Amino acid sequence: MSMWYEKSGEDMDVVIATKVSVVRNVKGFNFSPKISTAESDSLLDMVSAVIDKNKLMNHWSVRQAKENKEEANLLTPETQIFENGMNAITQPDHKGIYYNADASLSVLIGDREHITIRSMSAGHDKCTYARAEQLASELEGKLDMAFSEKYGFLTSDVRLTGTGLKISYVVAIPATVNNNGGLAALRQRVAQYYWEIRPFAEQGELADSNIYVVTNVSTLGVAEEDVESRGEMLIGDIIKFERKLREELAKKKKPQMADLCGRSYGLLRYSGSMSRKEAVDALNWIRIYKDFDDSGDFKLSWEAINKLTQMMCWEPQQNGLKLRPDNLAAVRSRKIKEILKGDD
Amino acid sequence: MYRCKRCGAELTNKIIKINGVMYCENCARAMGYDRFLDNPAELMGSAFSPMDELAANFMKLADLDFGSSTVTCPKCGMKLRDYENKGMLGCIECYNAFNDYVVKEMFRQQGESEYAGRMPGKFVASEDIEKAMLTDGKENKGEENKAPASDSKSASAVKNAGGTPAADTANTEQDNKLAKLEKADIGMLSDAELEDGIRLATASEKYQLAIKFRDELKGRKAGE
Repeated sequence: MSMWYEKSGEDMDVVIATKVSVVRNVKGFNFSPKISTAESDSLLDMVSAVIDKNKLMNHWSVRQAKENKEEANLLTPETQIFENGMNAITQPDHKGIYYNADASLSVLIGDREHITIRSMSAGHDKCTYARAEQLASELEGKLDMAFSEKYGFLTSDVRLTGTGLKISYVVAIPATVNNNGGLAALRQRVAQYYWEIRPFAEQGELADSNIYVVTNVSTLGVAEEDVESRGEMLIGDIIKFERKLREELAKKKKPQMADLCGRSYGLLRYSGSMSRKEAVDALNWIRIYKDFDDSGDFKLSWEAINKLTQMMCWEPQQNGLKLRPDNLAAVRSRKIKEILKGDD
Repeated sequence: MYRCKRCGAELTNKIIKINGVMYCENCARAMGYDRFLDNPAELMGSAFSPMDELAANFMKLADLDFGSSTVTCPKCGMKLRDYENKGMLGCIECYNAFNDYVVKEMFRQQGESEYAGRMPGKFVASEDIEKAMLTDGKENKGEENKAPASDSKSASAVKNAGGTPAADTANTEQDNKLAKLEKADIGMLSDAELEDGIRLATASEKYQLAIKFRDELKGRKAGE
């Protein structure tokens, strides 16, 4: 079965993924900074007992991963269930994950907040929010959650107190970033909705990748459905803005764009060794020009472009693969070629 | 031209320099560097604010009561100082123990401290989202082919208008069948019954029920 990031979605030319997380804490247990080992285990058991195993049929825990390597392999960084990779999770022995067949819906137990529900979709999908909220609501019916009428759902991190809801869109906006003042204008627009936009990677190889994450700021003073509807309006604006700038570029600089796009495709298709940055840059040039290409020389679906982009963004650390950087670049190129061949 | 180290935005009149690195106002706020500033705008006006001015701003902190930093949560033992350093509370009781500080932090981060969301367990998806959720799975796309939405709408339109006796009988039968499926133990229903359930529930605009049937069917197929 294909995973969520390999599937088709709407507006994939701009939106790589829609992600929603909802955090909750269970009454009667200390929050993560003060929770004891015994409490963690008890929490894990309590939440595990109420998870709907028909919906979230896969279970992962450190203990299980040690016993069953095949299951552990399912949880590659590409699934994006762990926001910052497994290494960022402290005390993994006392945590568990339940997730569905394509890893688009998951419940992480015992992380920074007791329960983190994640719903993810390829492209732009307004149902992502409802899936997460529906699961949260189900769990709230079965567990006594930390809740106050004044402050809403109580969390260890005050920035999440209230709805505990974060809606994010991962967007590829090369035309906006390359346009003089484009990003500043977009920033202004995002701030009007009281959302924020930040680069996908703060530092490292992908720091200038033209991939950004747009997320809501407020969890207080605004209802969940308002956050969702604002997000829908905002992402609509971002998509329109980026498409318009791509069209302008393609019209004004058609020969240059065609050349850059063709070169980029050639690089991805035939290079034997490639860095992540090179690959993402090449994908971005293809993104800008793909819909305006009338030569028919290269056929590459948005699904393949997004799959490759996600592969670059969520590539396992080289230490995890135990490969030298040059070997890693060769492995990366081979994987890219495999995807492109399949898309021919 | 300078750019923000964090987001890459072009820096114009608002620049914040922290440890020699320049940031824009939004990023500085996001990183929490304005939390102790009496008047952030004053400091942000210059990229090269002298250190004594910075120190003076820190000293003017109206909301930092160093004497109270020994305040401790009676339940989990979290100290206010720890909360200020890590930004994480230790338990529910911390909301009471550090209430003033927590509320101020909420205002700093979000400009609000009042909850406006739903009550626990009370999520209701809007109608358009429910419809979208029903049609996003492959199996449901198959259902669409079997029973186009227009057919169901026309069926309910006929029902609402009174309709022919034959149509009324068919609708009653369908309603009875759906009622039976609704009451049955979902785990005991066959795949075919679940498929019928999705179709009938959608036609009757009982979207929550249709989602329930769809999820059960989806779970079974994924588990195969």
